[in-house]
Amino acid sequence: MIEVFVLLIAPFLAGGLSLIVHRSALLHAINLTSMSLLVGAEIMITGTVLKDGPFTALGQLVYFDALSAFILFIIGAVGLACSFYMRSYMDDQVARGVIAPTRLNLFFFLFHMFLLAMVLATVANSVGVQWVAIEATTLATTFLIAFWRRRESLEAGWKYLILCSVGISLALFGVVLTYYSSQHVLGDVSEALNVTQLLPVASQLNPHVLKLAFIFILVGYGTKVGLVPMHSWLPDAYTEAPAPVAAMLAGVLEIVAVYAILRIKTIVDHAVSPAFSGGLLVLLGFASFATAALFILIQHNYKRLFAYSSIEHMGIAMIGFGVGGPLGTFGGLFHLLNHAFAKSMAFFSAGNIHRRFHTVEIGQVQGLAIAQPWTAIALMVAGLALSALPPFASFVSEMQIVTALAAQGVPGQWLGNGGGMVTVAFSDRFASLGFTGLFLLCSLLAFSGMLYRIAGMVWGTPPEGIARGECWTLGHLPIMALAAALVGFSFFIPQPMRQLLEEATRIILVH
Amino acid sequence: MPLSSHIGSQLVDLCSALLLLTCFAIVAQRRLSACVDLFALQSAFLALTAALVAFLTGHHHIYIAAALTGAIKVIAIPRVLKKVIERLNVKRELVMNVNVPAGLLICGALVMLAFFITQPIIPLGFLLTRDSLAIALAIVLIGFFTMIARQKAVTQLVGFLVMENGLFLGATAATYGMPLIVELGVFFDVLIAALIAGIYTNRLQDAFDSVDTTHLTVLKE
Repeated sequence: MIEVFVLLIAPFLAGGLSLIVHRSALLHAINLTSMSLLVGAEIMITGTVLKDGPFTALGQLVYFDALSAFILFIIGAVGLACSFYMRSYMDDQVARGVIAPTRLNLFFFLFHMFLLAMVLATVANSVGVQWVAIEATTLATTFLIAFWRRRESLEAGWKYLILCSVGISLALFGVVLTYYSSQHVLGDVSEALNVTQLLPVASQLNPHVLKLAFIFILVGYGTKVGLVPMHSWLPDAYTEAPAPVAAMLAGVLEIVAVYAILRIKTIVDHAVSPAFSGGLLVLLGFASFATAALFILIQHNYKRLFAYSSIEHMGIAMIGFGVGGPLGTFGGLFHLLNHAFAKSMAFFSAGNIHRRFHTVEIGQVQGLAIAQPWTAIALMVAGLALSALPPFASFVSEMQIVTALAAQGVPGQWLGNGGGMVTVAFSDRFASLGFTGLFLLCSLLAFSGMLYRIAGMVWGTPPEGIARGECWTLGHLPIMALAAALVGFSFFIPQPMRQLLEEATRIILVH
Repeated sequence: MPLSSHIGSQLVDLCSALLLLTCFAIVAQRRLSACVDLFALQSAFLALTAALVAFLTGHHHIYIAAALTGAIKVIAIPRVLKKVIERLNVKRELVMNVNVPAGLLICGALVMLAFFITQPIIPLGFLLTRDSLAIALAIVLIGFFTMIARQKAVTQLVGFLVMENGLFLGATAATYGMPLIVELGVFFDVLIAALIAGIYTNRLQDAFDSVDTTHLTVLKE
């Protein structure tokens, strides 16, 4: 059980230490140590889960299964990459005078608290504790987003705080309703919100209450995921946040929020037909996908470009989970992983570009291939992976999702009011073809928009006064590792990873 | 004891109704400091409701929640907000997205919507607090509406806190309180959120010389 302690204590201690330490080198050392410990603990837990199946620890407070181990893997991998990247990035920001040296420890403190909250949200057994942890991620990140203290960052931070807090409040109402329904079956005990208690009795829970609960929770956590129409904070926050923070928000936080939705979905699907939650997920997924694809076309700011691409990919993953079936669910999970890697890589490259060109306007960045050849390659790789082209793993996962969509069509039972269900039949062949066509059209739009913008940045000659040649930093290491993983996963998923994905798929699927 | 449980249920209904009434007062109030006072009053009613439910049902952990509501939402948060308002150059909400009469009408409609949505699930509830669930949802929706209708950062924050009050009433009414660990976590989050929002209001005041969120328009497509 030592690994469970390490998982929770490492970020907590690191955060506390960061507050009293002031030397930059020491802060980075603490950060890297705690991240490595976290990844080590995570690997041990995954090993246990794969060998012995799900288990609880700390008196039922935390619960591990393949799904949470998979999310922990993403947190660990992207977090470690971020820690390496921050080594050069933060020192550079301090040297340029953007961040006062005295505020560096505050940055690390908030970063560790953010990490702790995400780990807690992933491993919490109680749906209520999970809510508390997800709200805590909002509180920890709002000052990270506003860390540059410019007018725009304050605006982005305030929007993020208000919109996400409100969204999350709605999710709390959903949690209350879940408790309301589970109390009738489990009695008035504090374990009545635990996933381990809810799952065995899920089919006896009141379907009306659960439907209402799911809608509230989907809207609430959907705000954190950035699903349209609750997405308006997202592009601002990603643009204003320092690059490593943006990478963590896009690569990890979104995925933790998706995970929270999936947990509730597995419970609701036992009591209500999976077509109910699936239909809602597909609806929001398509809204996000289509809206983001259009906004990608008109972007002139490369950080916003990546932000809208995040909305797009979360929409795609939601379509995968909504369509369901082994293929759609597996594709959705795999897509989450690919997106986490590709998007953190994109934001690392964006950070490198911003440090050299001092602008976020795409029109003012030219000749990246000459100014920063390796960053240019990284940007191309990230861009191609985000456009889901072969040979990148995101091509594979998007193919899986679109195949599932074409084969199974869209779940047929859509939302009605709390009383009688209003049933709309969408299962016929024509509608299924139409949705597949819409999917392909949106991906074509997003693909052309993304490639056109990135090509404009990579080729050409750099403007006057821009230094040429890459300066190598420790931050290039995670970029190369992520690129290797993105290509590698499309040919070969390592055996433990495949097993983890398959078991997580089995957890989400309700028979 | 059917009679005493009947009276108890009436008392709980009365307290919930008072909570809803203060919501309407907040929507109708233009002065920022009065909004904060009304929020404190609403929280006091909430603490009273929670204590009443705790007394009538014998669930002692609700007393803890009631005491925390008193300490945090009646005393601590309003004091922080008053401090924030003292620093501001605006005391009144000058421009509203929705004027007061229209706002009150919309709130009336929201109450009906809340009763409509909760109709199918209310019969499941405990007899004592059966009607409070609908009122709780109504308060959440009105808080949500306040956040949209007002432009000052402080009133938006009050709207958020009203939503939290509604949620807390919902938890108390529907389930006799959430598990204690969840409830403590929620209180912690709300307190930190209010403090952070207070810090933001100061920074917005410094950066924009105003807390009018309509000035926050630098970032758009």
